[in-house]
Amino acid sequence: MRRQWRIAAAWTLCAIGTQCMAATAVAAESQDDRVTALEEKLNRSLKLIEQLAARVRELEAQRAPTPAVAESSQQSQQRLESVEQQLTQLVDASAARGGGGTGVPLHGFADVGIGNHTADEPGLKGANVGALDIFLNPQLGEHTRSLFELTFEVDEEGQVAPDLERAQLGYQFSDAATVWIGRFHTPFGYYNTAFHHGQEIATSLRRPRFLLFEDQGGVMPNHTVGAWLTGAERLADGKVTYDLFLGNGQAISGGSIDPRSGGVSHGSTIYGGNFGYVFGETLNGLKLGVSAFRSRISDDEQMGRITQVDNAGVYFAYDTDRFEYLGEYYRFNDRNLADGSPAHRSNAGFLQLGWRLPLATPYVRYERAALDQSDNYFALQTSGVSYYRAALGLRFDLDVKSALKFEIARTKNTDRLIDQWTDAMLDYAIRF
Amino acid sequence: MQRIFALWTFSLLLTGISSATVADDLYLACHEGVLLPTADVRDVFLGEKQFLNTIRLVPVDNVAAQPAFLEKVLKMNGMKYATTWAKKSFRDGINPPAVMANDDAALEFIRRTPGSCGYLGVEPLSGVTVIGKF
Repeated sequence: MRRQWRIAAAWTLCAIGTQCMAATAVAAESQDDRVTALEEKLNRSLKLIEQLAARVRELEAQRAPTPAVAESSQQSQQRLESVEQQLTQLVDASAARGGGGTGVPLHGFADVGIGNHTADEPGLKGANVGALDIFLNPQLGEHTRSLFELTFEVDEEGQVAPDLERAQLGYQFSDAATVWIGRFHTPFGYYNTAFHHGQEIATSLRRPRFLLFEDQGGVMPNHTVGAWLTGAERLADGKVTYDLFLGNGQAISGGSIDPRSGGVSHGSTIYGGNFGYVFGETLNGLKLGVSAFRSRISDDEQMGRITQVDNAGVYFAYDTDRFEYLGEYYRFNDRNLADGSPAHRSNAGFLQLGWRLPLATPYVRYERAALDQSDNYFALQTSGVSYYRAALGLRFDLDVKSALKFEIARTKNTDRLIDQWTDAMLDYAIRF
Repeated sequence: MQRIFALWTFSLLLTGISSATVADDLYLACHEGVLLPTADVRDVFLGEKQFLNTIRLVPVDNVAAQPAFLEKVLKMNGMKYATTWAKKSFRDGINPPAVMANDDAALEFIRRTPGSCGYLGVEPLSGVTVIGKF
């Protein structure tokens, strides 16, 4: 029995062992399959990776520039740099010439106003257009210079009137000598050549009344058509300036002075000069000067009548960061050459004081003209009236190129038709 | 330790001060061979002097260094400078200086343009004539 048990146990063990071995064999067989499958998968993956790597190489090869393309790109870069350099040189050269290579720069002034009277016409009030002043100064060469000023103004009728205020061609020999030919601002005193039709550069809202332009009510020959020699010579502590000019004698036509830009029918002339001294370090900003002119002036009231106008003036200008003080005084000594009558004496002048403060520039001005009404020169001019005016103003510089100005002024005509009035005006002026 | 720290801080401060001084230096330079007296620089940049013997002078402004130039050499503010040129231009028919943005552009302009003169915030190494330092 025991033996049977042993045999049974042995069988059992054998059976179990067989089972185990069989199970082990099956397990081993299954693991081999999995390994094989994994190897296959790995192989497929490797192939896929190789394919992808090949594709990447292919794409990179496509993106990389070919030698020809690279060379072309380098040439383009060089051309670009060359064009850039040429453009820079053109711009530099143009800038050095003042824009001559790229056309003529257009500059100008404009202003509009509002008040109980307009600046130049006491009989008008409300809003008004002042002037559009177009300015051209093409740079033609090292010595040749040019200057043109075309102004569009609105007259008392509301009509726009164009006027070629200045048309000058000049040759600059040196700093000491420039000759201009054409129509220019007559170089008497300081104000007439320092300030022009654009009101923005002037501190005040308007010019002194007797210095207004001919068609606005002034009594001076502000424009001359002729030749003008001007220059300056530096000294040890300052500078001497000079002007000499010769031109067509003006005429009085329709109650105002006509510069006769088209020429004269007979030989009347205007000639004169201006000498000034500009101080250097000691009184930097101060200029003192004297001027004089003689003009033989015809008129449309009496054929052949010539009035000889002799004018002499003194002036000063003190112009610094903080102050602008201006003063001028003129004496007239006029004769009617037709009847040989005695000389008629008149005088006119103004004093203006301005203070350039951080926020604004307040100014005061007093002007006076005592004009002999028996002098044909003044009697024939509509605005040749004696007067005085006291003005108080304030200028705000809104930016470098625009200003807002207020002025209150009291004016009194002291002969012909006695009248007086008060102006309160605002002017918005720009330059561009 | 405190002394070292104080010395270090002081030396840094000195460095800052000396750097600021260097940054404020102004070199006046002209095209090679243009020997413009420094006394004439003001006149050149205000349009009062346009010739040096037979050479036509071409001033050039440098925006980066302009404030220092206006203060040290022309002794006027920017508004006054602009107004002066507006008056000058409309009275005499000449144009204000060309304007360059910085030292490099100004230097290149001076190198290339005969008769030109300008000012720089850094000392130019070569290719131009330095006529003064402020």
